[in-house]
Amino acid sequence: MTVPHETSFVKLGNKSIQLTVGGEGPPLLYLHSAGGETEWTRFHDLLAQSFTVYLPAHPGFDNSDGLNEIHSAADYAWHYVDLMRELKLENVPVVGFSLGGWIGMELAVLRPGLVSKLVLVNSAGIRVEGVPMAELFIDELDKLRALLFFDPNSPYVEEAMPLSFEDSRILLWLKAREATARVGWNPYLHNPNLPKHLFRIECPVKLLWGRNDQLLPLGIGEFLEKELPNASLQIFEETGHMLPFERAEDFVAATKAFIVE
Amino acid sequence: MKFFAFHLMPFDKLPDDFEEKYETAWTWVPNSLYDPIHGHSLYNRYLDELIYAEEVGFDGVCINEHHQSAYGHMPSPNLMASILARQTKRVKIAVIGNALPFYDPPTRVAEEFAMIDVISGGRLIAGMVVGGGPEYNSFSMNPTYARSKYQEALDLIVRAWTEPGPFEHYGEHWKLKYVNPWPTPYQQPHPPIWIPGAGSKETIDFVAERRYSYMGIPYFHKSFFKKNFDMFRDACDKNGYTADPEQTGWLVPIYVAETDEQAWAEYEKHLFFFINKLLKGLVVFPPGYTSAKSIARIGSALKQFLGNVKNREQVEEGGYAMVGSPETVRQKMKDYIQDLGVGNVLGLFQIGTLPADLTKKNMTLFGEQVLPYLRKELGADVVDASAATST
Repeated sequence: MTVPHETSFVKLGNKSIQLTVGGEGPPLLYLHSAGGETEWTRFHDLLAQSFTVYLPAHPGFDNSDGLNEIHSAADYAWHYVDLMRELKLENVPVVGFSLGGWIGMELAVLRPGLVSKLVLVNSAGIRVEGVPMAELFIDELDKLRALLFFDPNSPYVEEAMPLSFEDSRILLWLKAREATARVGWNPYLHNPNLPKHLFRIECPVKLLWGRNDQLLPLGIGEFLEKELPNASLQIFEETGHMLPFERAEDFVAATKAFIVE
Repeated sequence: MKFFAFHLMPFDKLPDDFEEKYETAWTWVPNSLYDPIHGHSLYNRYLDELIYAEEVGFDGVCINEHHQSAYGHMPSPNLMASILARQTKRVKIAVIGNALPFYDPPTRVAEEFAMIDVISGGRLIAGMVVGGGPEYNSFSMNPTYARSKYQEALDLIVRAWTEPGPFEHYGEHWKLKYVNPWPTPYQQPHPPIWIPGAGSKETIDFVAERRYSYMGIPYFHKSFFKKNFDMFRDACDKNGYTADPEQTGWLVPIYVAETDEQAWAEYEKHLFFFINKLLKGLVVFPPGYTSAKSIARIGSALKQFLGNVKNREQVEEGGYAMVGSPETVRQKMKDYIQDLGVGNVLGLFQIGTLPADLTKKNMTLFGEQVLPYLRKELGADVVDASAATST
């Protein structure tokens, strides 16, 4: 039942970017999280039943190079300005999960014309006073899964992350963490300048949040709903940070409803 | 062949149930556990132990930098070095090292090291280190820039010591319109540079390329040390020269008592306080601190790390510490030094909770009964304990 999809490389300046494209219908750009879900997974497949899904790996993740040119999430956004021009994508819906949500917001500030609608899933990028974010850069994988998932024993954990340092995906995972640390170590997972730009994001925004997100708690979603001119928040019960993995069907249904409405 | 006394200056009063109650002795260890009244006597006692090293005939003393940690609560080794510069007359003072990325701008290191070198009359060994993994959390410093900041800082410091100022420096991380440190070093062209490493290939190649000295500092199984020193010698060969043994150093805990049995009876609980409490929760490699490949390589060697050692037998088998009678320690150390091919021994004579009287006895026995033997056997110069370089 997997929708046909293909991975290739796009030459962009002097860097080579990994891009997977699959599905049929209008285009949708998916910006992945710090976990680096760049392999075609269950929810990409569900999205691809309604959209042509563009799934690029950010510079520094998976087989995309170019991390040496990245110093902030805004640099990632500029990278997408370039990539979207190369792919002839404009005025398309953008779905960003966690780190991807942060990049999506920065992109919508820089080039509003590129983004028709924005779906932000448990998005990073904003720090709200009194809403403490948890520590993502820990080595213990068991602690990490307890932090990220509502149910750390759910079968979906294995889809999302390595379970031990002997896991064959560990090198990829270490690379993803390095790239995330590059833009999110300090200031921690946010851009202190972003709040003052939020009024510029005039396109419709759907905020999807797991009630039990410990990494980026719901208070951030509530703040964004208040500060973005055209946003509404939908909360999912009994799910943590890894909403697209833990609740793939609900996540895709909500995304689809918002984009086609 | 040179013998140094290394001091971590650990905080030695942690609750008995520390392991159960606290996740780590680093970064997040609550500083409500610190007791400044006790700290007062502790710092002074530790300084006395380093000064005593000169009396017993060591070639030098070593101190180092750590932050937000009970493991070593010496955030500024330069403050300690400046005290030692006055209170000792002969020994080398090795600061191993200043964590360069945390000095902003790094020309502060050029200045402070030059001060210590001038005060001591040219006895400084300038250690320069990338900074431990935990320190990148303690300072919220982005570890993905650790290497590039370190290299830029090191090159800048050497330039500041060797080129007349003022000059401009427009690097990737620092933009300095006027580099012109006062004072400049007593030793010319500059103090010896020692670089500690945990086995990252990147560090080993870097040190070999620049002909500095490589100190194998973390507490690994002897086989991992051997691999790293061999890697270093190979890297020197590749750069067209043979490594001088004095370009390498080996850090090792040492405890000497009257007999083997007595040594272990006196030492064991203090060593295991160090292993179980002070090494607990050490985050060795934050993301991007070194290449993902090196992280994976050293990550698998962590099974051979002292922090995972459970008993005396494993300590003996892996050579994690040299413990025993003077005769035992003499033989063991001779074998190890020859096998590893190192020209500097950096001995830890105080560890964990080891109290002042046992530390002093340990150093005395080592100085009187082990040092002369090793010097003779390994063909090292005899130190004239009365010679002084400063006035």
